[in-house]
Amino acid sequence: MNTKNLFDKLKKSQLLLPVIAMLLVMAVNIIHDAFTGAGAFSFFTITLQNTTGNGTILYGRIIDILNRGSEAALLALGMTLVVSASAGTDISVGSVMSLCASFCCMLLAGYGVSSTNELAVPLILGVLAGMLMGCACGAFNGFLVARLNIQPMVATLILYSAARAIGLLLCNDLIVYVRNNSFGFFGSFLGPIPTPIIITAVCVALLSIILKKTALGLYIQSVGINSKASRIAGLNSKMIIHLAYIVCGLFAGIAGIVASSRITSADSNNIGLYLEMDAILAVALGGNSLGGGKFSLAGSIIGAYTIQAITTTLYALGVSTNQAPVFKAIIVIIIVAIQAPPVKAFIKKKSLSKSSKGVA
Amino acid sequence: MKKSIFLTIIILTISLLSGCSRANEITSANSAEVISDNKSSGSITIGFSQVGAESDWRNINTESMKKSLSADNGYSLIYDDGQQKQQNQIIAIRTFIQKEVDYIVLAPVIEDGWNTVLAEAKDAGIPVILVDRKVNVEDNELFTCWVGSDFELEGRKVCEWLNEYCKANAIDAENINIVNIKGTEGASAELGRSRSLHKAVNKYGWNLLDEASGDFTQAKGREVMAGFLRKHKDINVVYCENDNEAFGAIDAIEAAGKKAGNDIMHGEIMILAFDGSTEQAINEIRNGRISCIGECNPLHGPRVEKIISNLEKGIIPDKYEYVDEDIFSADTSVKTITLDDISYNIVTP
Amino acid sequence: MNIKKLNLNSHTLLLLITIVLFIILYGLGCILYSNKGFTHLQTFLNILITNAGLICITCGMTCVMLTAGIDISVGGLVAMDCMLIAVGLNKGIPAPLMVILVIVIGILFGLMQGFFVGYLNIQPFIVSMAGMFFTRGMTAVISTDQVSITEQSSPLYYAWANYKIKLPFGGYINNKGVYNAPYIRINVIIALIVLIAIFFMLRHTRFGRNLYAVGGNEQSAAMMGLNIKNVKLKAYTLSSFLCSIGGICFSLNTMSGSVQQALGLEMDAISSAVIGGTLLTGGVGNVIGSFFGVLINGTISSIVKTNGKLASSWPNILTAALLFLFIVIQSIFAAIRNKKMH
Repeated sequence: MNTKNLFDKLKKSQLLLPVIAMLLVMAVNIIHDAFTGAGAFSFFTITLQNTTGNGTILYGRIIDILNRGSEAALLALGMTLVVSASAGTDISVGSVMSLCASFCCMLLAGYGVSSTNELAVPLILGVLAGMLMGCACGAFNGFLVARLNIQPMVATLILYSAARAIGLLLCNDLIVYVRNNSFGFFGSFLGPIPTPIIITAVCVALLSIILKKTALGLYIQSVGINSKASRIAGLNSKMIIHLAYIVCGLFAGIAGIVASSRITSADSNNIGLYLEMDAILAVALGGNSLGGGKFSLAGSIIGAYTIQAITTTLYALGVSTNQAPVFKAIIVIIIVAIQAPPVKAFIKKKSLSKSSKGVA
Repeated sequence: MKKSIFLTIIILTISLLSGCSRANEITSANSAEVISDNKSSGSITIGFSQVGAESDWRNINTESMKKSLSADNGYSLIYDDGQQKQQNQIIAIRTFIQKEVDYIVLAPVIEDGWNTVLAEAKDAGIPVILVDRKVNVEDNELFTCWVGSDFELEGRKVCEWLNEYCKANAIDAENINIVNIKGTEGASAELGRSRSLHKAVNKYGWNLLDEASGDFTQAKGREVMAGFLRKHKDINVVYCENDNEAFGAIDAIEAAGKKAGNDIMHGEIMILAFDGSTEQAINEIRNGRISCIGECNPLHGPRVEKIISNLEKGIIPDKYEYVDEDIFSADTSVKTITLDDISYNIVTP
Repeated sequence: MNIKKLNLNSHTLLLLITIVLFIILYGLGCILYSNKGFTHLQTFLNILITNAGLICITCGMTCVMLTAGIDISVGGLVAMDCMLIAVGLNKGIPAPLMVILVIVIGILFGLMQGFFVGYLNIQPFIVSMAGMFFTRGMTAVISTDQVSITEQSSPLYYAWANYKIKLPFGGYINNKGVYNAPYIRINVIIALIVLIAIFFMLRHTRFGRNLYAVGGNEQSAAMMGLNIKNVKLKAYTLSSFLCSIGGICFSLNTMSGSVQQALGLEMDAISSAVIGGTLLTGGVGNVIGSFFGVLINGTISSIVKTNGKLASSWPNILTAALLFLFIVIQSIFAAIRNKKMH
């Protein structure tokens, strides 16, 4: 009885979908490891290792997934708010990441310099400028969506194609290398823990506290459910949608700095490529409706790490980088098909007829 | 409602105005250019279609070309960055033909699919000089000549170095477990360097555990290497097809808590790489994290300049011109390697 | 009545702006670069040759956008088509059979997408995003190599690709003393046929009018007894069908298949359609506008390349600026219309 209750509760919970997906990925890993003789639970082992470059660090598959999935998780945070408030997706985040990385590296190296070991401006200035650029991009998107009532996908299409190109222009069409340890910090280690994990954890904590303390989370949901009704109830819905986009841009900026710090360079053509798709997928996988309204940050974050786990697992299974999208496509379709109203209605009818038969 | 319409109209005007000012900028930039065109009316116009800016090597290559084919040397260079897309390069060549340039210099992103557009250049009577990577065309007359590196030789040199190193340090061939981080699949450098490795693996009996493309970038190189380390426990040699991939591989190896170095029988992982054109790569050789680099000389500019000035005088160049290249290593157990009866000294930077 | 009149006016106005913009841009190019051969007829024909595939794809995109949908899988589908053709021809499959095969696969793929959008009521963006992942991935599954089509693999296909249709006028003698007759290639003919066919389909067939009706107001279309699901299914099938034809045009231009091919083509198609006056909210637009949208994109890229001193990212930025301009104009029209209605 008790277990049944728990199951019912979980069935209703938004977290059902991401948790099941995560468990599935783990199961695949355990089976694969057991068969290849690596030890069934090598997926979960975390060890301390000594390295020449970074001192003692944590090593393990889980750590690697958390580390690699940081950018997608950061983007998913912002994307969740945008989807919830405006019932649309921001497809520019990958490009904005690239622009912020380019802007930050361009400031740190100086305009026109393609490789440097010395910073031209203090590190903090470059990083802040990168984040500000993200906010500015978000504000632009938000203006189009909230004030001019343009469909989110269409509005963000402008920066999707322009941001990467502007980034290239800032870098003088070159890859700018900032080979300085202080800049590399955001992509390496803080003590034994990879810095991106810490940055993501801090962002998640800050955002959830702000959403809880200021009731902003509630406002965003209510705007997403019915923006007209919210306005009548005294909420400035335009303001809230605009804010959601700015926050989304800010997180894209942070993700961009992390991504460029990992490779200590601004590779405008490749940073954040297709990452907007991962972020949207993470939101959908997190059990959030892409039609706006109710949202769960936890779901999106689990979704983002699940996608990273899927990617790493596919590589471990020997699927090449270029072939992996086929599996992602199948996963997306299954997830959205389950959530689709006609399918839901169909399942409900089935289960109803079953239970009525049981009664009879 | 009224307010929002008013607002949009303001934005519209601003964007229109900014559009106009941008157009003005273009015009002014052009008028300046027209003047310089007139000034150097006797100069030779060259259209250069570059792959993109995907690596350090490429940046240096671009700079070399721009420097050698400068206005001071009597050339007017039209540079086009293809952003690693063939479609862009095809458009660029068609634009060069339309602009009636005297020569076209092409660094093709991939080897295939150039027949049609090179035939158009030939019909217009414009000589095409290929640099760096080659092209697969039926009719070799479609290009005048090719300047670049012998990628297969570079690969053979590095493989021979590894063989000599094993001999010098009494390491059995069976104990060599190699993974190959390939370059952009289909690029000449990838094909040549992979071919050499495959031949050497067969010849010396090494184990080739795995291969995957790292697209010549640091980020992809790191990702691929991390995957390899998870899949195979006994990797001791990594064959990276350029420096940037090697930097990525080093990151992944250290993140996995292992060490990059020469002592492959005691848990270290040896990194072999190509290019060696940057300070960072040479530093990695000095501190021993990269064991050996087959140089790939990016300074094609002077060679191309020479060919063009010869063509102007009516001298037909060789079809294939190779640039001279060294091999770098900080290890002292191997001094020279010999290939086809030619011996190459190992350069210690 | 009043509303209808305003509608008509704003549509013609949008189309007019596009055409005038194209003429201004092209004229600007001719004035600035008359000494660099911009005035040659071949410059214009080159824009057509290079963008033949894009014209077909934009026609399909316009039809989907009329139903207030979007299809971002087109770039991936083109890459898959090119790869299929290259691999198939090298395996010795005859060229005509290969062309039919590619078109059939395109139609099947479109039916799948249309089913998910129309019958399962899933957001078009998400469905076609999955479609994009799928086709890009499948391209790599077919082959991760760069596969080229040579004369050995298929003499017939090779002949198609290299066939120049020379025009009897507008030639010039270049500085090497060679006479350059202006020419187009087969893919331009295919693209123009597709353009005209879709133009008439939208104008004069029931299906064409249904597309407008579904996008204009889905509820009233449903009340009129239209089978909306079916119209959407057909729209996505048509888009993928035209995209496959575009893929063949693309393949005739590059003669190779690779995973990286046609990257970002979907955004070129969408921006061309928007610049051509197709409303993203559906119900408004036509393929003549989209055609001019493609030409504007081509002209911008041609001007930047002819200049030779501007960074290669400028075409992207300028196109995005135009996109911004047109989206804002559209939203103003929408606001005015709303006001009139209330």
